[in-house]
Amino acid sequence: MSVPLTDVLVVSVALFALGLAGALLRRNAITIFLSIELMLNAANLAIVGFGAKVGGYQGQIVVFFAIVVAAAEAAVGLAIFVAVFRHHETIDVNKINLLKW
Amino acid sequence: MNAARLIFDLAGAVAFVFAAVMVVHRNPIKSLLAIVVSFFALAAGFVLLSAPFLAAIQVIVYAGAILVLFLFVTMLLNLQTEEETADRRPFQKLFALVGIVALAAILLSDVRRSGEITGTSGQPPATGAVEPLARALFSQAALPFEAVSVLLLASLTGAYVLMRRERSGSAAP
Repeated sequence: MSVPLTDVLVVSVALFALGLAGALLRRNAITIFLSIELMLNAANLAIVGFGAKVGGYQGQIVVFFAIVVAAAEAAVGLAIFVAVFRHHETIDVNKINLLKW
Repeated sequence: MNAARLIFDLAGAVAFVFAAVMVVHRNPIKSLLAIVVSFFALAAGFVLLSAPFLAAIQVIVYAGAILVLFLFVTMLLNLQTEEETADRRPFQKLFALVGIVALAAILLSDVRRSGEITGTSGQPPATGAVEPLARALFSQAALPFEAVSVLLLASLTGAYVLMRRERSGSAAP
């Protein structure tokens, strides 16, 4: 009674591809950031799946740290969005040329 | 087909559908709410992979804290729905789609061979219990645990400095 690794990896690949599509095709910075979070979660799912297959708790520990780093990244990234919005009144990535003040 | 596999596939399908809604939807608030559902479904998947602690922090930290932070910032910025502007580089999207499909195909072709992987670590498979995870976390991973607390403090400070309004008159430090 366990989930086969193939199913876990198929779900993980599908979510990662969706996240990549969102990150490349969308122009709203919030949606791009959410897509990156989705890719992080797909990777987490793959790590937990491999960890369940190999045994022990190493995989779960790695995912724990990945979630903590994602929280730190979200805080700093959203702060950058707010700072950019104050300057440009938009966070559409086509209208922001950050390196050209 | 066993019950755990059936429920996992169902949760994976729900996660995929709502992630697709997130990517496609033009209103950022609605994409946020869609990805919350997707992360809940992923938490159900974690439970079935005998990682109930990760399922709990997926719900509490990811869906509960990180995405609520996203929601607050999205409402603070008062974003309008993404308007359709003329695309200056029409081929960019085409190339992006081709690249994504190629990546997914390559990864899926490797997934077919994942049946060859067997438990080689010599460790017993993880049970649902949290205690052995906590023992491993606070013994062999104690140093990264402390390092990550410094990282959280640094990102807290960084977020404060970025969000702060600079007062005119006082020199910026």
